[in-house]
Amino acid sequence: MDDWVIVMMLSGSLFLGGIALIAFMWGVKNGQFDDEEKYLNATKFDNVEDLQAAVEKEKKIEELKKKSYRPE
Amino acid sequence: MLKSIKNSKKIDYKENLKLSNKIICSHCHLEFSKDVMIVDGSHYFCCNGCQGVFHLLSDEGLDSFYAKTGDVKLSPQTAQYEDSSNFNALAFYDKFVKINSDGFSEVSLIIEGIHCSACIWLNEKALDKMEGVVEANINFTNNKATITWADSVVKLSQIIDMIRAIGYNAYPYDASLQEVHANKERKDYYLKMSVAIFASMNIMWIAVAQYAGFFSGMEQGVKTILNIAEGILATPVLFYSGWVFFRGSYYGLKNRVVNMDLLVATGASLTYIYSIFITISGKGEAYFDSVSMIITFVLIGKFLEVISKKNAADTLDIIGKHLPSEVNVIQNEKIVSLKLEDVLVGDIIVVSSGEKVLLDGLIVQGEGSFDESNLTGESKAIYKSLGDKVVSGTISIDADIHFKATRDFEHSTLSNLVSLLETAINKKPKIEQLANKLSEHFSTTILSLSVLTFFVWWFWPHSFEESLMVGISVIVIACPCALGLATPVATLVGLNLGAKKGILFKEAAQLETMAKVDLLLVDKTGTLTVGKPQVIKEERFDGFNINMLYSLVKSSKHPISTGITNYLENSKESINEILFNEFSQIAARGIVAKYNDIEVIGGNKKLMNEHNIEHQYESDKSLFYVAIDKKIVAIYELSDSIKDGAKELVSSLSKINIETIMLTGDHKKSAQKVAKTIGIENIHYELSPEDKLTLVEEFQKEGKVIVMVGDGVNDILALGRADIGIVMGSGSDIAVDVSDVVLLNNSLHSLLAAFKISDTTFKLIKQNFAISLVYNAITIPLAMAGYVIPLVAALSMSFSSLLVVGNSMRIKYKINRK
Repeated sequence: MDDWVIVMMLSGSLFLGGIALIAFMWGVKNGQFDDEEKYLNATKFDNVEDLQAAVEKEKKIEELKKKSYRPE
Repeated sequence: MLKSIKNSKKIDYKENLKLSNKIICSHCHLEFSKDVMIVDGSHYFCCNGCQGVFHLLSDEGLDSFYAKTGDVKLSPQTAQYEDSSNFNALAFYDKFVKINSDGFSEVSLIIEGIHCSACIWLNEKALDKMEGVVEANINFTNNKATITWADSVVKLSQIIDMIRAIGYNAYPYDASLQEVHANKERKDYYLKMSVAIFASMNIMWIAVAQYAGFFSGMEQGVKTILNIAEGILATPVLFYSGWVFFRGSYYGLKNRVVNMDLLVATGASLTYIYSIFITISGKGEAYFDSVSMIITFVLIGKFLEVISKKNAADTLDIIGKHLPSEVNVIQNEKIVSLKLEDVLVGDIIVVSSGEKVLLDGLIVQGEGSFDESNLTGESKAIYKSLGDKVVSGTISIDADIHFKATRDFEHSTLSNLVSLLETAINKKPKIEQLANKLSEHFSTTILSLSVLTFFVWWFWPHSFEESLMVGISVIVIACPCALGLATPVATLVGLNLGAKKGILFKEAAQLETMAKVDLLLVDKTGTLTVGKPQVIKEERFDGFNINMLYSLVKSSKHPISTGITNYLENSKESINEILFNEFSQIAARGIVAKYNDIEVIGGNKKLMNEHNIEHQYESDKSLFYVAIDKKIVAIYELSDSIKDGAKELVSSLSKINIETIMLTGDHKKSAQKVAKTIGIENIHYELSPEDKLTLVEEFQKEGKVIVMVGDGVNDILALGRADIGIVMGSGSDIAVDVSDVVLLNNSLHSLLAAFKISDTTFKLIKQNFAISLVYNAITIPLAMAGYVIPLVAALSMSFSSLLVVGNSMRIKYKINRK
């Protein structure tokens, strides 16, 4: 077995594992795990309407940010 | 598809209603008979409030709420609230509203009336739909909400109105820095631990390959590749996850203390540097696995300590809830709301029935009874009229009065109580932990031994590399993991076991403190006794009528009446309830009623004297006289029964040298009687809450470590000040908040179990230290002599940690055997 096979396998698996770790850390930082009960309940209520609502909410926040922006 | 399922559910639900012939309110889901319901198309409502909320939700397109709630019952929408425009006051904004980095306003609220996850959904959706609300985030676990909004578009009062309109209420709390800080710290640990655990797990499987190669032979090229991979993984563990140890050792050195952080930091970083050196030179064995293992294990130990600390901020939030911030004051013949702090001495304040008195003063108009149990523990209502003194913290039961403030809020009784409480919590003496004391010496010793080993090897002609490796191996093998895990694992097992037995320790360190206790102070009523008087003796005379007596006592909620009602119900005599023509309760006296011109009077000695009824009966217990037409027909003697296990508690504690002293607000005779039955020698009676506090402080000055057990608001000062405050789960909210340990099942057996658990846990912690010290005493000399090969070092390090964890598990067996 050549050395490069080990290098490739190691770096490949560590890279994939690293992505999963970074995704998890992003979730923790974002507060997605702050309220475990809500996090679990979210799966029950997950539907198209709520996704739509979430998108609209993002838009609304952007608009409000523009509106309430006052240069010092 | 989803919608059709929801609709079919609704139809089933309505079918059920019709079949059962009972009508369920379409909003709150409570059952009512059909004739009291408001009919609105195909819907039925129990009240206008529910109807209003139902229509509001349909208009806003939020009616899928009902599919989400299922059969959960809500509170009907009936409550009346103070004007929400108060929330727009400048003073309110100053105190509670913060401006975030995007320029939006932010407030922290506690939402009342949340039953289920659908309620959270509804609140968040309803607020999100409002123009100007940026974000509403409600935590299901503690019902705390963070709401962000653009103040130029919508005002806070409109947001509060929306929450109220959909059937909930909200009150603000100060999300003090402390809580924010505690949450941030916890999150930080999560992140650090996830990196450390991820890297360690990966390093371990690479290390397995290396260990296999150590015995079966491995090419240097492959070895270097594995070392590099381990090195890459160990780097974030050391510098990101392990940062707390570098910081800890820096602050330690600044204060001239050698702590365990320094040992971990030097051990890990020297091993790391050495391993890099080995990887580059291609000779010897690298120890990257040890670097990440040490950091990960000790970090987990540290994390366990962080999460077991109680959140003092929550306590003060709840007390804040008990203090409304405004009072109604008469100014220029008009009633205006003033902030508590703005009320001056001499202002006339209006209090209606059911309201809390927030300032001290003298009544200038009106009369009625007050509940002073908050302050005195006295459960009887106290009647007050013109010229009498009202005290802050008491509650008006039926009095509508005007009173003149005699002290401003800052100097009021209530405010004094709160500030006393805050200092009591903060002044709690902290016993220095054994772990810190031990690890300080341990760290210094190991570091000096390692340096010594290095120099001895170097001067005893060996190569620099070899001497360095032996020196480092001393630090690596002197496993701080076992020492770091000794306390947290054992306390966690202890806390868990306590929780299973209905004992909630709010902080891990309390197990240790409780194991050192030498004095138990215990409240009488509700703690040693049940708090519900029972009939122990009955005497009946001519003219006795059980139907009249039963109907008389049944209509009163006083504990004595309840005691007699229960006694009569259990007597198995046939009883027919009658209806009185006239009926009145006289506070602190008894009950007077009339049935077809027959006068029935039931009550204490004072009531009999007032009605000129002759009686000759004395007792040290509570007496209840019954008179029909001015003639005594029965006498009941009642006494509060002592809780199961009280005697056993006192005798078991005296065996392990813990003295028990009883404190009570009750009078001498009744205190002595209870004490004699249980076997308590020392009692203090007729005590006010402040007296109890003073006693605790006096005992502490004598150097005693004190456990205080109580249940009422009148115990809170002592509970807060004692080294360990234990409260019965049935106790009042504030008492539960200030205490350190809660006995959920109110049982004295649990109290004894709490002592046993803490004692055993503390013993096992000491054993754990002994194990890790013995381990070090054996392995360190071997390492110094250069006999430790990498495999043994790694294995023995994990083994010592496992030994400590395994030993901690023994707490369960020890307690169950006792």
